[in-house]
Amino acid sequence: MLAQKLHLLRHNVLSFVSSRTGSDLTRRQYDVIVVGGGHAGTEAAAAAARLGAETLLITQKIMTIGALSCNPSLGGVGKGQLVREVDALDGLCGRAGDSAGVHFSILNRSKGPAVWGPRAQLDRERYRQFIQSELLSTPRLTVLEGSVDELLVSQPNPEEPGHHRVTGIRLVDGSHPILSSSVVLTTGTFLSGSLFMGQTTSPGGRMGDAQSCAGLSYTLKETLGLRVGRLRTGTPPRIVKESVDLSLAQLQAPDKQPTPFSFLNTHTRCKPEEQLPCYLTHTTPGVERVVRESVHLNCHIQQDTKGPRYCPSIESRVLRFPGRRHQVWLEPEGLTSDLLYPQGLSMTMPPDLQLRLLREIPALHRAEIRAPGYGVQYDFVCPTQLTPSLQVKSTQGLFLAGQINGTTGYEEAAAQGLWAGVNAGRTALSLPPIALSRTQSYIGVLIDDLVGRGVTEPYRMFTSRAEFRTYLRPDNADLRLTPRGFEEVGCVTLRRYKKAVSVRDGLQEALMALQSVALSSTRWREKLGNISLSENKSTTLNGLDLLQYKDVSFEMLASAFPECLSQYFEYSQRLKIEAVYRPHCEKQSREMERIRSEESLSLPSDMDYLSLPVSLSHEVREILDRVRPNTLGAATRLPGMTPAGIIHLLNYVLRTGQRNRHTEHRNRSSQKEGGKGQLCASNIPISQ
Amino acid sequence: MLPCSWGLWRSAIHTLKTFRASPSARGLCIPTRAVCDAETIFALSSGHGRCGVAVVRVSGPASSMVLRNMAGLTQALPPPRTALLRRITDPQSKELLDRGLVLWFKGPHSFTGEDSAEFHIHGGPAVITAVLQALGSLEGVRPAEAGEFTRRAFHAGKLGLTEVEGLGDLIHAETEAQRRQALRQMDGELGRLYQDWSYRLKRCLAHVEAFIDFSEDELIEDGVLNQVDSSVRQLETEIERHLKDERRGERLRTGVQVVIAGATNAGKSSLLNTLCQRPAAIVSPIAGTTRDIVETSLDIGGFPVLLSDTAGLRDSSDSVEREGVRRARQRVEQADLTLVVVDSTQLPPDPQLVPAFLQEHLSTVLPSPEAGMKAASDRVLLVLNKSDLVPEEQRERTEGELRERPGLPPACFLSCSTSTGLEDFLTVLQSRVKTLCGDPLSGAPSLTQARHRAHLQQSVQALNQYHQYRDQDLALAAEGVRLALTHLGRITGRVGAEEILDIIFRDFCIGK
Repeated sequence: MLAQKLHLLRHNVLSFVSSRTGSDLTRRQYDVIVVGGGHAGTEAAAAAARLGAETLLITQKIMTIGALSCNPSLGGVGKGQLVREVDALDGLCGRAGDSAGVHFSILNRSKGPAVWGPRAQLDRERYRQFIQSELLSTPRLTVLEGSVDELLVSQPNPEEPGHHRVTGIRLVDGSHPILSSSVVLTTGTFLSGSLFMGQTTSPGGRMGDAQSCAGLSYTLKETLGLRVGRLRTGTPPRIVKESVDLSLAQLQAPDKQPTPFSFLNTHTRCKPEEQLPCYLTHTTPGVERVVRESVHLNCHIQQDTKGPRYCPSIESRVLRFPGRRHQVWLEPEGLTSDLLYPQGLSMTMPPDLQLRLLREIPALHRAEIRAPGYGVQYDFVCPTQLTPSLQVKSTQGLFLAGQINGTTGYEEAAAQGLWAGVNAGRTALSLPPIALSRTQSYIGVLIDDLVGRGVTEPYRMFTSRAEFRTYLRPDNADLRLTPRGFEEVGCVTLRRYKKAVSVRDGLQEALMALQSVALSSTRWREKLGNISLSENKSTTLNGLDLLQYKDVSFEMLASAFPECLSQYFEYSQRLKIEAVYRPHCEKQSREMERIRSEESLSLPSDMDYLSLPVSLSHEVREILDRVRPNTLGAATRLPGMTPAGIIHLLNYVLRTGQRNRHTEHRNRSSQKEGGKGQLCASNIPISQ
Repeated sequence: MLPCSWGLWRSAIHTLKTFRASPSARGLCIPTRAVCDAETIFALSSGHGRCGVAVVRVSGPASSMVLRNMAGLTQALPPPRTALLRRITDPQSKELLDRGLVLWFKGPHSFTGEDSAEFHIHGGPAVITAVLQALGSLEGVRPAEAGEFTRRAFHAGKLGLTEVEGLGDLIHAETEAQRRQALRQMDGELGRLYQDWSYRLKRCLAHVEAFIDFSEDELIEDGVLNQVDSSVRQLETEIERHLKDERRGERLRTGVQVVIAGATNAGKSSLLNTLCQRPAAIVSPIAGTTRDIVETSLDIGGFPVLLSDTAGLRDSSDSVEREGVRRARQRVEQADLTLVVVDSTQLPPDPQLVPAFLQEHLSTVLPSPEAGMKAASDRVLLVLNKSDLVPEEQRERTEGELRERPGLPPACFLSCSTSTGLEDFLTVLQSRVKTLCGDPLSGAPSLTQARHRAHLQQSVQALNQYHQYRDQDLALAAEGVRLALTHLGRITGRVGAEEILDIIFRDFCIGK
């Protein structure tokens, strides 16, 4: 059975089977259907399959599965944390990054391990290959090339909240519907997407790909009545490497020793010495001139659709901050690629002007463009209509992930995809949905921000969004998530789980060993040489206390106590980080506890706030009715919500909860009595 | 958004724990201690303003410590729910604050279900302020947020769910009152000051965050952090100074120090006698009659005043008088308000020369020239005594000359012998004293000030963390600024991550 499916997949991927042929081979019933083969879709499909769900991934072009549509890089500050977390939950992107990376560096090295940003430049080809072969070898996963025309919905399951229930999809050219218990939509910029370049506009989500999703768009908006908004983004022109005068740019070397993204990897596929450099150059006043002269020829920039403030086109940067020198990074596209990617030069002006603009930059004075930059405008579904499991509140079994939820970035998409896939799989397997807390992970912060507050511009992760940044570190993502991912969620394989558990136990032992070595500060000074300790002479300090000091390393302690510490050398960096942050994390535990309890109290999604029989002001009722927060925690974070409102809400929920318990209790006891009665009744004839 | 404090929300949510078991800590770095001990809170439970008896309630694990420290109970605690008459003292200075009843309630047999204590004290604003401030100075004890006692009672299962129905209204009323009060306070100078700090702190945080989240690939230079360093230091200094400066409550407790100073024979002792309406100080035409400090307590417009008469300032060969002059000068330095008495007959006959003359005279009386200039505006009143000996026409012209003279304190013509001008002088004096004490009758300034003080102190502490980690770990340094902002936010309103990002994107061109 398994072999047969693998064969089918191989067939699909390697022979690029069309949807019609594919549909002949595929079954008509799946647990989970994932629409889209980008970062969100691939993670969703893989996660659902790992969970044990029969999964079908439908993409317009099998070739573009795992394609990096925009920048050839992964990770960074905040984003790197997401990659580590996705990896800790056994997702794909971390390992793909390790396989495809050609330039690794840890950003923020000097600013503290909590905000280190693991990042890599990628070889596009290797990344795609890794993702495709990974999907290929995933059991229970089938890939199908095709365009989805329609989402099939039916009456909801009356025992659960929601107005509709998803039952499957229909392909554009397939007459037979494909049925499933859940559907994950990861359509990226393809939902009513339009492409912009100069004054021309054409429908589509990515240059060179078919336009699509008109039918889906209709289902979402008209059938399901979902509120949508419009966002925009853009991509820079790709430059022929040979035409660039790199001697006029500043060389940016990678880390000497690449640090892998994945907790499973000890080294990256690319050898340290094989890494490629990046180059830094700057805009000139000439660039600003070209932008100003071309504004009237630039539809995209003239429209007021919300674009990201942190990844603006060169046009908006120049217009918002005139008279400045802006940075441009020239990034490699891969080991064998003859192209460079000019990070920071996303633009939408006509192609001839793009060339003129590039050539205003000294290093690019002879630059040739392989593919011009362009802008995209697309619909997104306002994510406040989702639950923390990323399911559409009104539609049972329908999950959304990635740009369709108003986010930007590969890592953000991957994180949502994984979590949507997990929950789509759980729904199909009749398991309850599951949410990640914002106190436990960046993924939790991301989803909580999305479903709790919504977006007004493409959402990107920053470390400053996480209240518990000092705990949510890239170094401990495995300990935070992997055990739970295995024991509770089911998306982590045994191999990874065993590894994380052994690391956890090893670290625990090492911490205890550190605590077991205690000396007076005078004695420590004698042992370790001249270190500055603030404590007075008589204070006793243990190894863990000492490790908090800036100048003290684990190696120093291990050489002082080789017999009990030297066996833990492999954890030296993690121990040092743990020692420094632990006291701060402990201080925050109370606040974490509060947020967790807020999150644990869910508000029924069908609550009629407008007529709730509690004293709430009209303003508060309207806010609650509009946003329909999933949890009390989300409600407290709503602007305009009052403390009194929270108390009333809390009281109402607790009261109704208690009443329900009472009724349950009564029902149970009456059943029991009934049972007893029956027993007696049957006894009577016997005794007679 | 309501300027309600974040702490309120937090406490509201804490009640949940009764119904949900806290998730067990798992993983290596999750602190093993599930929940820290609850903080101990206190508040004035009786109404604000003047009343016969005021009740101050304390609840939380440190209640017994509070009782021991404040009521001088070194041995056993009193039996629960038994009133005990005790001297109530300041735990730090051991100063006697009041005599009153103390009660001890051992948890769970208390209103909140926690260990609790009650202080039944005299209802004057000064006593209440003193006791609240003394409580606030104890470690681990903080002023309660609105409705917090009730919520704790709910948490402990002391209130049924139906009773909680009233809690929302209660909190609504309290926050409404708080909001109005906050609005009223925030309208004033103090509000502008806190808002300004909050804004500057937000910018500091935004710039640190920008440096963390963006600097590597962007054009954010290290200079940004140096700016933050100096802003944070500046803020620390300002908040600390504000905390030190704010002695209004203390003044209300100990009385406003008003010192009468001036040259010999100007009529200083006569002024004292006039004000206290009895011959408290010896008065004679001989220069240098008063040699030591003569003190008397007065009630001026309901505010306590400690009035001191001092020796006339002159160079003297008499060693006793020299000591008197030294003490006089020392007293002027410590004074909240100095009444500089001048003999009107000694003023230059040409009214136009009077301001310069007085300026000169002040510089000899007040401690140092710069301090003198600074103090002149609000800490000094000029009393031009013996006005009955000056021709009416000259007095009026001089008054006209002195009216609205920047740099000169207000001046009042007065005759201690005929009491002419006494009414006007008292009005000026009373308004000065009132300003120095603050107005305890409007709202509950003592309570909110104690809360403000606690949050401001915590802010300063948190800012220390910034400096401590600035070069070692920027994430931990930023945590300090964030914490400081959280504390300040409890006075001025909450600050969210989005607001910080807004500042980042306004101040920096982020291109990636």
